[in-house]
Amino acid sequence: MTGVLAAGTNTDSVAVETVFWILAVVAVAAALAMILVRRAVHCAIMLAVVMLCLATMYAMQGAPFLAFVQIIVYTGAVLMLFLFVIMLIGITAADSIVETIKGQRLAAGLAAIGLLVLLALGIGHAAIGPAAPPSPKYGSGNLTGIATLIFTTYVFPFEVTGALLITAALGAMVLAHRERIAPRPTQRDLAARRLASGQVVGDPPPGIYALHDSADRPALLPDGSPAASSVSSVLNPRTGTEPPQVVRPGEKPQLEAADGGEREPAPSAGSGRAES
Amino acid sequence: MTGTAAPAALAAHATLAASAPGAISAPPIEYSQLGPMLVVFGAAIVGVLVEAFAPRPARRGTQLALSLGGLAAAFVWTVVIAASRQVFANGSPGHTAIGGAVGVDRPTLFIQGTIVVLAFISVLLIGDTRFSPFVAQAAAPPGATAEQEGLAAGAMHTEIFPLTLFAVGGMMLFPAANDLLTMFVALEVLSLPLYLLCGLARRRRLLSHEAAMKYFLLGAFSSAFFLFGIAMLYGFSGSVSLAAIASTAASNTSNSTLLFAGIALTGLGLLFKIGAVPFHSWKPDVYQGAPTPVTALMASCTVVSAFGALLRVFYVAFGNLTWDWRPALWVIAVLTMVVGAVIAITQTDVKRLLAYSSIAHAGFVLTGVLAVSTAGLSSALFYLVAYGFTTVGAFAVITLVRDPGGEADHLSRWAGLGRRSPVVAGIFAFFLLAFAGIPLTSGFTGKFAVFQAAIASGETALVIVGVLSSAIAAFFYVRVIVLMFFSDPVPDGPEVVLPNVFSGTAVGVGAAVTLLLGIAPQPVLSLASHAANQLFVG
Amino acid sequence: MSPVHYVALSVILFMIGGVGVLVRRNAIVVFMCVELMLNACNLAFVAFARVHDNLDGQVIAFFVMVVAAAEVVVGLAILMAIYRARRSASVDDASLLKY
Repeated sequence: MTGVLAAGTNTDSVAVETVFWILAVVAVAAALAMILVRRAVHCAIMLAVVMLCLATMYAMQGAPFLAFVQIIVYTGAVLMLFLFVIMLIGITAADSIVETIKGQRLAAGLAAIGLLVLLALGIGHAAIGPAAPPSPKYGSGNLTGIATLIFTTYVFPFEVTGALLITAALGAMVLAHRERIAPRPTQRDLAARRLASGQVVGDPPPGIYALHDSADRPALLPDGSPAASSVSSVLNPRTGTEPPQVVRPGEKPQLEAADGGEREPAPSAGSGRAES
Repeated sequence: MTGTAAPAALAAHATLAASAPGAISAPPIEYSQLGPMLVVFGAAIVGVLVEAFAPRPARRGTQLALSLGGLAAAFVWTVVIAASRQVFANGSPGHTAIGGAVGVDRPTLFIQGTIVVLAFISVLLIGDTRFSPFVAQAAAPPGATAEQEGLAAGAMHTEIFPLTLFAVGGMMLFPAANDLLTMFVALEVLSLPLYLLCGLARRRRLLSHEAAMKYFLLGAFSSAFFLFGIAMLYGFSGSVSLAAIASTAASNTSNSTLLFAGIALTGLGLLFKIGAVPFHSWKPDVYQGAPTPVTALMASCTVVSAFGALLRVFYVAFGNLTWDWRPALWVIAVLTMVVGAVIAITQTDVKRLLAYSSIAHAGFVLTGVLAVSTAGLSSALFYLVAYGFTTVGAFAVITLVRDPGGEADHLSRWAGLGRRSPVVAGIFAFFLLAFAGIPLTSGFTGKFAVFQAAIASGETALVIVGVLSSAIAAFFYVRVIVLMFFSDPVPDGPEVVLPNVFSGTAVGVGAAVTLLLGIAPQPVLSLASHAANQLFVG
Repeated sequence: MSPVHYVALSVILFMIGGVGVLVRRNAIVVFMCVELMLNACNLAFVAFARVHDNLDGQVIAFFVMVVAAAEVVVGLAILMAIYRARRSASVDDASLLKY
């Protein structure tokens, strides 16, 4: 495939030219879609489309190695990382980050489009030479050619990218790894702590079904007073202290209209539990 | 392949590779000339190993010793190279090491030495854990119980030290890079740790996170522009080596579109790092949000490094095209000086104030760059040294003035500080006077040198703008001084903590150098002009 | 295909990415737009490599991919830190789960 595509770039066959135009249109359309669609997941998928188009174009231009690196590393790893984070954060999470970048949207768009026109005109006028004729270094010798350059001319930047990768790993560790400062409490510790606290069993469950099927209703202690600790601390416990109604079988429990108006009445199976 | 066949095949392969015409011959690696950078990177890597293997209580001391030792060794090595007769034999301007990737010449060595010394002082500030400005547990959300536990246990991310060293290594490579690819890699090596470090403030963590993200997104944006500029220059000349671009630019006049696009886009990337207007918008937010020692590092070392890279690119690669880039840079220099000085007047936060002052100072250094002469280069180098030490000292003072909740950033809290602790307020006032360019401070000498070089190159209009914006800038520096000394202290004003050996050294060195360069600037001036006598190697 | 077409395409993609950075407000999308810009740079490098008949451009594109990978890790780590700080701060403090 790549061998065929890399045949040449000036005297390309009609087929290769067709491939270029299809890919170019798809890439630009996907890129435009990327900045127009609203959801981050769709953006990532559009970016994947662009990247795959570019990978094919690398192959067409005599860069088979880059084509595969583009697919494996860029599309396969980098973009997946994006997708992981998008999935982790969720779709709605993006909103909280908004205020940090204040972009004057219209002015920015206009300026960029102006720059685009300017650059496009410039590139149109630029005398970019014809492509080099096919040679082994765009095919079978591509990998060795790249390797030679990496280990001779560009050996120092190549080594320095090591610093970059270490930085990335270290940075991700710093921001994501939570070190445990105190040792994790064992079962024995937890038990001892519980005994020391004086409350051996857990907090009582809320008084669901006593009158209402809602978790904000405190349970009642044997003396009839509400147990505040039975309601989760994130809820406001209703401190209605009316005594539990004793509901006899066959009788419907009376519900206060004040706070229970909009609620569904407790199911009769549950109301029976109030008397037990 | 099984058994004995495998080694035999491998050996055959090896001989084949060795005898093949395309066999790779390893390039010469001048370890002695790359020494300073290698030491810093090596110390950073050892620091990572310390993180992995040293017990937690031992880490901070080990890391601090390692960082300071590495930086000191790098400085000594830099001096040794600069004094070496071998590299600069027979009036040679220098040497391009390791296949032309790194230029070893006097201006670069001067810049690298400056960066290492300023980084040493910044590491002292980072290592001052008495009121550590760094978060105890970066992974714990603000206000979470895990964060409280971390604070209570006095935990510290000692990874900060290797990260700082990586950043310093990148900063040293950035001005030395002799091809644009190395420069791009160096730009990322210096930027990535800084993005991370910005987000590690202990207090006002949401602000710090926001600073990190803003810096990161805008930094990545600008480095994309820088990269596209490299692509254009590569398209123009077929090489990314600065010398090759210069020689192609001298010979080939037909294809100037790519060249000018390349100059504009690479220039944009470099000016962003410097914080020149209109690419300055990140600077106040990042300086405010980042932990103060990191701000000190960025304000001193990053600016010096980025100016070094700018000087190298514009003097070496675009040296023949002065007439083409000078007008654009002229406009940017004027904008930078004026906007930096004018907006600073309205600031109410000390760190933001210094950020805008840093923007204005970038404009003054650009004046020296615009002179395009050895005098301009040497004056810019001198200015960078003077400004670097003053700003590190000023940020060190900021770490000392504290409210119960952290540093007292708001200017109104500084009212009357001069009456409550005259020494600290006096030193800060001295730094502000240096920023303003009052005689007997390094700021005056620096501005004088820069303006003198610019006038010698016929940039009188630029100098007039520079002097006017200095006057505007002087107004708000003096306003802060008046606020500190002549207004009534706020009732529950900030406490000025006694500097310990770390912050004390930082403040002391900053103040001493600021004073010394104001009274007796000649040694450093002549060192700078000696460094600039031979321009960058190509 | 003439390399001019590839370069023109890379300019267009670069500018679309640039506009995306400026107009979008979601940090992840902005970051993806930066990646698009880097990809456009790579396309230009590869096209110019063919023009000049040397492999330097391809090597540079390879370096850009390495750098981008490291940058993505750091950027996403920062974004995750922000997300955790803003979204889960209240959840972490309020102990919904009792013993």
